[in-house]
Amino acid sequence: MYSDLLHALPQVLGLTNFLAVTIGVIAGIVVGALPGLSATMAISVLVPFTFGLDPLVALGLMAGIYNGAMYGGAIPAVLLRIPGTPAAVATTFDGYPMAQQGQGGYALQVAVVSSSIGGIASAFALMLLAPPLSKVTLLFGPAEVFWIAVFGLCSIIFLLGGNVVKGLISACFGVFVSVIGSDPIFGNDRYTFGYLELLDGINIVILLVGLYALPPVIDLLEAPLKTENAASDNLGTEPIWRTLPRMMRFWKTWIRGSLIGIWIGILPGAGGSMAAFMSYNEARRASKTPDTWGKGEAEGVAASEVANNADTASALIPALTLGIPGTAVAAVMLGGLLIHGLQPGPMLFRDNPDVVFGFMWQFLFGAILLLFLGGSLATNSFAKLLKLPRPLLGSIIIVLMLIGVYSIHGRMFDVYLMLGFGAVGYLMDKLKFPLPPVVLGLILGAFAEENLRLALRIGRGDRSGLLANHTSQVLVAMTLAVVFGPGLKRRFWGNRNSGAQG
Amino acid sequence: MKTSIWALALATLAATPALAEYPEKPIEIIVGYSAGGGTDVMARTVGKFLEEALGGASVVVKNEPGAGGQIGFTHVAAAKPDGYTLGTFNMPAALALTYDRAADYDAKSFTYLANFVEDPNTIVVSKSSGYDTLEALIEDSRANPGAVTMGLSSLGGNDHFAALMMAKSANSEFTLVPFKGAALARTAMIGGHVAAGTMALSQTVGFEDQLKVLAVLSDERSPFAPDVPTAKERGFDVEMSSLRGVVAPVGLEPAVADKLLSALAAVNANPEFQKMMAEQGNPMNYIAGADFAAIAETQSEVARTIWETTPWK
Amino acid sequence: MSDTPKHRFLRPETLTAIGTIIVAAGFLLPTVDLRPLSALLPATMLVSLIVLGAIMLISDQRKAGSGQAARPMTKAPRRVLGAFALVVLYALGVDFVGFYPATAISVPLVAYAFGYRHPFGLALATLIVLVAIWLIFGFAMSQEFPTGRLWSM
Repeated sequence: MYSDLLHALPQVLGLTNFLAVTIGVIAGIVVGALPGLSATMAISVLVPFTFGLDPLVALGLMAGIYNGAMYGGAIPAVLLRIPGTPAAVATTFDGYPMAQQGQGGYALQVAVVSSSIGGIASAFALMLLAPPLSKVTLLFGPAEVFWIAVFGLCSIIFLLGGNVVKGLISACFGVFVSVIGSDPIFGNDRYTFGYLELLDGINIVILLVGLYALPPVIDLLEAPLKTENAASDNLGTEPIWRTLPRMMRFWKTWIRGSLIGIWIGILPGAGGSMAAFMSYNEARRASKTPDTWGKGEAEGVAASEVANNADTASALIPALTLGIPGTAVAAVMLGGLLIHGLQPGPMLFRDNPDVVFGFMWQFLFGAILLLFLGGSLATNSFAKLLKLPRPLLGSIIIVLMLIGVYSIHGRMFDVYLMLGFGAVGYLMDKLKFPLPPVVLGLILGAFAEENLRLALRIGRGDRSGLLANHTSQVLVAMTLAVVFGPGLKRRFWGNRNSGAQG
Repeated sequence: MKTSIWALALATLAATPALAEYPEKPIEIIVGYSAGGGTDVMARTVGKFLEEALGGASVVVKNEPGAGGQIGFTHVAAAKPDGYTLGTFNMPAALALTYDRAADYDAKSFTYLANFVEDPNTIVVSKSSGYDTLEALIEDSRANPGAVTMGLSSLGGNDHFAALMMAKSANSEFTLVPFKGAALARTAMIGGHVAAGTMALSQTVGFEDQLKVLAVLSDERSPFAPDVPTAKERGFDVEMSSLRGVVAPVGLEPAVADKLLSALAAVNANPEFQKMMAEQGNPMNYIAGADFAAIAETQSEVARTIWETTPWK
Repeated sequence: MSDTPKHRFLRPETLTAIGTIIVAAGFLLPTVDLRPLSALLPATMLVSLIVLGAIMLISDQRKAGSGQAARPMTKAPRRVLGAFALVVLYALGVDFVGFYPATAISVPLVAYAFGYRHPFGLALATLIVLVAIWLIFGFAMSQEFPTGRLWSM
């Protein structure tokens, strides 16, 4: 296998293939950075277009876009508090406060370095450990995946914000939205009111754009033209070689975040947002100064960005070996593989080693290129874009939001749905309801339900099946440790770090 | 069946002016699933060769995913039957949808042009499950009704129908576990979380080291797996498969229909096309025109019977 | 109370809480028709929303009772509503008259309405946006945008 890996290298370094990755990374950063456009949308637009392309060119573009967009999403998250992709929600927690304190440039540098590190770690996991890690995926049946989802849902308690009641309302709202569509087992309609467009559930991008992008746009328009808050004017950018030494203290967070991202990636269905949230929570719990978090702690940006990029390549491990994608973007990319006649499965590695291993190299190069392309170039040009007069910026973002939402399924219905969520989001934003619980609730609510009901069905209603094996028991223990750990830890173990990555 | 379609077609012909030179603008193939699925890839491959066969016409594949394909099927059924809107058609899924929920189309809403793929269902287990023959699996399911868990890609599809028909024929009972898609069902099976599955044969290709196909639910053994017996050989008269073809709205003008049928036949006869389809792992079964319509009628009946005897909602 | 000119039931949080309760209760109606297992999660969420809404209502009314002023939602409600209306109009425009015409009108209109009034800048920005979108989506990716339902009727 490793000789195949080396064998695939020369052609990836060929001009067109390398150019594809480069273009992909740049396109990805742009797509991620433009509020309203997402990686899911970009790749789904790209997939049919690649039918006539050489497989490695097509896959290189996709690998580049995926890597680029995961970082690109951090740019508006930091500068405008609009996460460019679902996985960048956790980046807003500390990134935006940093920008307000005139440290936007540093925040973006931390984001790009962390993204690149996460991406490289993930690419190595994909290249070297795909077959053994796919065995880990096999351990997770519906019961185990259910406990993962519960574990993720429990992290909502750390995202509730100041007002617990409002935080819980947000979470319940998110979970409720997640059940709209057809029932995961019986297939009967739930709250679709006869709209076929609702049957497959509400796409996370639609909710995200509505909740997170529309309210800030309204704010952009609401404020009279010349006001305070000129955060984007002063990014406070220093040359990266001067800021890099300051980042070295994040090494623990980088390692932890990479492991969490890779781990979440190989589990089907959870995705980059959960990885970023978990990495952020764990890093904050491990921090000596948890009070500075949420107020502009650079390590928070590092934790979120390293994990959401560490999730990219590893999400392809179950996709390539078993045909089950780890994230929404990986699902779309799987389509890109199929369109080139690459059937996922263990045989894929034997039948098409050059393409598969070439694709893995492209992921690695994409992650490395990110550091160079994402650094000064992207950051500075986007900062300039955001200096546009605010009404103009607002009106352009509105157009992008419409394109981004419309292009996912090619229908206006989704746009109207997005506007509905936008109105709700504006109210929630103004009344200080926290938005992250909604996102996590939407991602994990129905996911938990589906797997619980599958597990009960497999156990024929016998609930003990849920805890029948060691994987489940470990997961439950971990959940309990995370929820009750902080209190107990202070009491018994002092400051020792209780491990939370399985 | 045949006559009714042609009668309808004739009726519309009277109302529309004769076509000068079909096609004179791009032809759209509506796919009810996202880009990159099996149906989508088939549509794109057919589309590519159809352009050639129609003498350089332009064929565009348009994805309208959602509601298990229903959004796309409905669009095709409601389109103008002028030959510029075609669609992919999946059986029995597209027809099962007309029973288990309100649908704006039925088996009679289409002009059936050509079926390309017929992917037989199987009875399959994981290599580590310990089952070596279909009989052993059936025996266990009879001894302890419901103890054998069966992973499906969804309810109301060919996997589901195959499992129900198998249970009926063998006079036994399975616990049906509908996953979201065949890949998840397959993974759960390999991981030992469910005992068996009924997935289509093409879904088992590439997993020969992990899975053991016990039987193919078709009339004859499949060239893709010549060593695997059919269920019929073992005494269970069960046939179920997933069919994928191309249809047009009902009432397609005969001149256009003829042109499309001969073009599609030319596509099918093209060795390049056959090679590409085989590389994508598609078991081919070309059925055109009235024969295709007859199969649709039969499939619709099968779905109706199953829905009436064992509704799943 | 004395600080706020509005009635105590018109405080934003109170209205939101009442709205939450009403909407959640409304959604409970179709829940009754679902199978028990299918209804379990949504029903739990809706009941939780009603309970949480009630708690929010009570706590906000207590605040009102103790004379705390409600935080105003926005400094300029008319601008907010105007912005929303323009966004909705734009979406309807895309749907009915087509993406490119609606965008060509909406970009300068929104920017102009909210205070950016350089004719040259407006024209240039609109042109750049339209050309860039057409080049990337229309030309390179052959993406189709709505052409307008009005014209196809």
